[in-house]
Amino acid sequence: MNKFSDQEIIDSVLKGNESDYSIIIDRYKNKAFSLLKRMLKNDFDAEEVLQDSFLKAYNSLRNFKGEAKFSTWFYKIVYNTALTKLSSKKRKIESEMSSVEDYYNLESDLDSVHIEKKDLSEFLQSIVNKLPERYAAIISMFYLNDMSIEEISEVMQISVSNVKVMLYRSRISLRDLILKNKLAGEII
Amino acid sequence: MNITDEILNKYLDGELAADEILLVKKALQASEELQKRFNTLKLVHDNLFSLREDELSPAFTESVMSKITRKKFTVPKQQKYFIISIAAFITVLCLVVFGFSISAIISSSPASSESLDVLDTFAVLSSSLIDFIQQLFTGKGLSIIGSIFSLIIIISGYFFFEMQKRSKADLGNGHHI
Repeated sequence: MNKFSDQEIIDSVLKGNESDYSIIIDRYKNKAFSLLKRMLKNDFDAEEVLQDSFLKAYNSLRNFKGEAKFSTWFYKIVYNTALTKLSSKKRKIESEMSSVEDYYNLESDLDSVHIEKKDLSEFLQSIVNKLPERYAAIISMFYLNDMSIEEISEVMQISVSNVKVMLYRSRISLRDLILKNKLAGEII
Repeated sequence: MNITDEILNKYLDGELAADEILLVKKALQASEELQKRFNTLKLVHDNLFSLREDELSPAFTESVMSKITRKKFTVPKQQKYFIISIAAFITVLCLVVFGFSISAIISSSPASSESLDVLDTFAVLSSSLIDFIQQLFTGKGLSIIGSIFSLIIIISGYFFFEMQKRSKADLGNGHHI
């Protein structure tokens, strides 16, 4: 069953083979969990939100018309559930993605991070986990979930240019942090 | 041409036009500082592709699936109340019919039962019961019982139909859980 497409599995679930939904769960749980962990900064919340998201997706499966990819549709549920969780926890959510203030927040957030001079990929791994929610979500979706800018814009319900701006800012901030800490001195 | 970080990002993503690419290449060759900025940016970009995926245990899948199955076989609260109320109504009705039968039997039993032995009493009571049941299921009695049961069936049918309709709509809207 693992070689079947998402749509084929969904059709099977809708025909009454509900146990096939476990294939969908296995297919997406780790990537979605990684995304949620970076957004919510907490394993317990990430697992809880992921469970909610899978249940919501299961109950709305009939509404999935196949116009977009299942992954995009599912990540939209995951992302919105995470935002609801964040707002319920009264955490700070950046409201204006393209504002100058937001960029300064991102820079100062990263400046305050304690830097351990491990290898570069370890450093990036730890620093991405500390990015503000939306930036972390974009980095995860783009680099880990192999999603296109257009798919990310659909999931986050923001414009393609906004996604690009946020992606560029994340990369630049990470680069400046590396340069500042002379982490890549030998490589460059 | 001033090579900004945005242009470097676009160059990295292959989003520049051919003439712009040429300009960026020239600028990179001319400036060591720009080269450093670009190479580090590329390093970040390449390394981000090797971000580690966090792993969840297989128990997670089982837990979600068990929640789905449990929810499917759980009677919704409203449905539970409806079933309880119908059961209570039928029980009360049976008790009324039973009580009424007993009182009818007792009232129709002979007054001077002291003079009869046990067997005679039993025979009299049984014949009274048979008479009462016969009365109940003939003529006026039968039509009353029929009407009561028809009413119960109609009311139950209506509520059952409404519940089915609502659960279908809930499933469609994803509001079930």
